[in-house]
Amino acid sequence: MGIFWVFAGAGSTLTALLAIPALSGPAHAQTPDISGTYWASEYHPKIQIVGGGDLPLTPAGKAAYEKNMAGLKDGSITDTARKFCVPDGLPRVLATPYPFEIIQAPPGQVTIIHELNHQVRVVAMGKPMPTVRELTTFPFYNGHSVGHFEGDTLVIHTAGFNEKTFIDATGAPHTDEMTTLERIRRINPTQIEDVITIHDPQYYSRDWQARFVYNLRNDVRLEDYVCGEPHRDLSSVAGVRRP
Amino acid sequence: MGSMFIATNAIRASLVVTLSAATAGAGLAAPPNQSPIPNFAPNSHTSWALDQTIDDLLPPSSGPGPITFDPAHPYIPNFRGAQPTYRVADLTNPILQPWVRERMRHANDEVLAGKVPFRARERCWPIGVPGFVIYSLIEGFYFLQTPHKVTIINPGGPEVRQILMNVPHSADPKPSWYGESVGHYEGDDTLVIDTIGITDKTFVDNYRTPHTTKLHVVERLKLIEDGSRVQISVMVDDPGAFTIPWSATQRWRRMDRGPLSEAPCNENNANYFQKYGVPTPTADRPDF
Repeated sequence: MGIFWVFAGAGSTLTALLAIPALSGPAHAQTPDISGTYWASEYHPKIQIVGGGDLPLTPAGKAAYEKNMAGLKDGSITDTARKFCVPDGLPRVLATPYPFEIIQAPPGQVTIIHELNHQVRVVAMGKPMPTVRELTTFPFYNGHSVGHFEGDTLVIHTAGFNEKTFIDATGAPHTDEMTTLERIRRINPTQIEDVITIHDPQYYSRDWQARFVYNLRNDVRLEDYVCGEPHRDLSSVAGVRRP
Repeated sequence: MGSMFIATNAIRASLVVTLSAATAGAGLAAPPNQSPIPNFAPNSHTSWALDQTIDDLLPPSSGPGPITFDPAHPYIPNFRGAQPTYRVADLTNPILQPWVRERMRHANDEVLAGKVPFRARERCWPIGVPGFVIYSLIEGFYFLQTPHKVTIINPGGPEVRQILMNVPHSADPKPSWYGESVGHYEGDDTLVIDTIGITDKTFVDNYRTPHTTKLHVVERLKLIEDGSRVQISVMVDDPGAFTIPWSATQRWRRMDRGPLSEAPCNENNANYFQKYGVPTPTADRPDF
């Protein structure tokens, strides 16, 4: 019934506050620690792809993007993530101007809790991706994620998305066959990066990447978030324009 | 009247002592000890659901207790083999201050007139504390335990509560939906959560019992029956709404159905025929 706290690694007060079962072997103590509360310092409504340039849209992708942009403009398409505060989906959620927390718990899972829309991402560690049948039966806004560590980098594969989300706030599209690969790692003692690769050949002629950098902000406590209410001050995040 | 107030204040004073004791020893951000602590999340598949399939705070074995249904209008939940009913609160409960009773009388009247009463889970609003422990009839509660924080998530929202461990309350927390919760473990089986700073926009329960921002709640979550159940006891005090501190119970049962999954409440809660008086949370303009 009981568990013990085990400290892994050394040197940082943030290091390795991992809950592991008392009977677990010492190998768990080697798990890299990326836990903490993080907050971006800039926000871009339009996704910034690595290497610059425009999204490598296929003709079908271009048509879907134009349809989304027109619909968002004339109101025939609703940005449900903003209006009803359902999850943003990937990679849009990575652009959040609100803080989020990475918790390496419960055992066998990394949990990412976003203040924005209080959406929760679950990463099953060391598990295989669910079958295509499972993914297509239960498509999720933020997909189904499995992960593992490569050195100090958390690698997350995600598939099984629904088609209710956008790539970004401008309405860039994706299909339900999109898959993503994220590599999350500390780039210095106070920052992490998440480099995401998007694979969606129906709408994109090649795989492309976006990179997000977040500051470690363990001084910040995630706040409750209810759609339509005033929320925290985002003046520290460049690029945020409140209506 | 005077003696009643003396008695009430004496009970409040004793409760304050109890609550203080509940957080005693937690004044310093002490490093986590090496003693066994209760494990509410032995694996990622473990969650906890209401044991009796009723989302009510249940009366204690003795002493002042929570609002229950009006005996003249019994509450019948779904799946009980009889026509389900909506909740009509028992206004004779002596815990209620007059203004609370009157507000609830109005809410009762609306139900008896045929309106669908507000239930936080149904309308995708945060339920607050102590209602969180009865938030969902179906979805389980998932625990994320780390040395300095316990996070409890119910996917049917999702609703997220954060309990900072082994720290004192801040001086004057800004009221919020789930308030400011601090906690500590007692032995290897109990999590004690002390919560203040809860917005008065929530109800205490599903009987639409209002409260003020003076609400103070202490929850004790105890693993019992070889870790297959959680016995919950709740102590509630609010000198702005209740005549006396009161307590309630509930039980969760362990489920191992699978990991936390995605079930956004606001996806499928259309207000068909405008039958609900309260809309789900919606932003008329984007937040950013």
